[in-house]
Amino acid sequence: MTTRITGADAVVIALALILLPYLYLTYWGGAATQGEQARILRGGQQIALVSLHEHRHLSIAGVLGPSLLEIKDGKIRFIDSPCRNKQCVHSGWVSLGGEFAACLPNRISVQVVGREPRFDSINF
Amino acid sequence: MLLVTLLCSCSKSEPLYQEQIFALGSLVEISLWGVDPALAAQASARLTEDFNRIHTTWHAWEPSALTRINEHLTRAAAFSVDAELIPLLTRARALSLASGGLFNPGIGKLLALWGFQSDERPNGPPPDAPAIAALVARHPGMADLHIDGTTLRSANPALQLDFGAIGQGYAVDIAIEHLRRLGIHNALVNASGDIRVIGKHGKRPWRIGIRDPRGPGILASIEMQGDESIVTSGDYERYFKYKGKRYSHILDPRSGYPVNGAASVTVLHDNAIVADAASTALLVAGANEWQGVARALGVKHVMRIAANGTVQMTPLLAQRLHFEAAPAPKVELVAPL
Repeated sequence: MTTRITGADAVVIALALILLPYLYLTYWGGAATQGEQARILRGGQQIALVSLHEHRHLSIAGVLGPSLLEIKDGKIRFIDSPCRNKQCVHSGWVSLGGEFAACLPNRISVQVVGREPRFDSINF
Repeated sequence: MLLVTLLCSCSKSEPLYQEQIFALGSLVEISLWGVDPALAAQASARLTEDFNRIHTTWHAWEPSALTRINEHLTRAAAFSVDAELIPLLTRARALSLASGGLFNPGIGKLLALWGFQSDERPNGPPPDAPAIAALVARHPGMADLHIDGTTLRSANPALQLDFGAIGQGYAVDIAIEHLRRLGIHNALVNASGDIRVIGKHGKRPWRIGIRDPRGPGILASIEMQGDESIVTSGDYERYFKYKGKRYSHILDPRSGYPVNGAASVTVLHDNAIVADAASTALLVAGANEWQGVARALGVKHVMRIAANGTVQMTPLLAQRLHFEAAPAPKVELVAPL
């Protein structure tokens, strides 16, 4: 049996070659800058590692009471905390690998973790 | 299969130790590369002690060594302080004078008047104009602080010290010094966005993202070269709003009012305290004067983003900075410093 590459085969191979870089860049390149998971820390110690790809609310007990977190579409934010300033709530969503948000009075913080974080730390 | 192998190799565990420490009224992030876990834990404990000591020594509105100094400064008589306090006082004085007083840690009274010496953000109208003008007219500045050995004297009873503008940079420098003494040579310390790194993240440089001063994302990134600091001062960090107007916590000592010409200034320098003082001074400086101030402070890597979004950058920083935001902003390259 002889093996010949037909025109259809060539199209399939060409499409695969075109798609491969696209898939690589989409799922491992550009998108990798978005965090995949978030570390949740109490007093600087990690107490949970959560996926950022399901919409959910979390209540985390801190020294003053519960901090409420929301996870949605690859992002995480504080939606309430028993602190006076609500600085954590004002800081909004974090989504990039290396980014973090914290409720200092309640000693609760979250840090986004990417597959291969694009940045080791964020300057602001 | 080769592709799968290649992709999986990216996610293997790395000898990276990361910890967050609640200190300095903030969250301090420490990353250590290739360090034995026991040594990393020891380093973390040491740095926590350092940060707590700095916080309690230099706190501007809770009883501290600094508030005791400030009480003495209201009187003309000379007084003695602990020798360990002198290095920061001397350094801050020199940086302030070099900046032409634009970085001025002697305006504690103005900061208090604006309500920025508080754990809570100010909530209400800005202070009365005559009260601001009265404090500005007394010209408190670091030239009024005389340091002779461990003896201090104030030549101006309006002088009240507040090191909020350089406290994080000072702490980061001390942390890096202590990590080195522990034999750690690949590390990153980030205190409230003020970063200093030494060495590398394994085989590659430490990579830093610079937050967009006007948006939620990352504006630019830079790879650090060995021992370097990067600090950004912005009008978005601490502020309050009253009747729709934003009032930044960074005050122009000449007017007594919050800065409003620049959104942020990023400075790259060998050490964090200089980068910290310079980023504050250059944020205060006007669009036409910041380059002279940068030259006087010896900083050569600067990015200044004006309130209208205009980006000015020195050539040395432009060679290394990579814009992540698309489209990249138009950059005006200034003359080398």
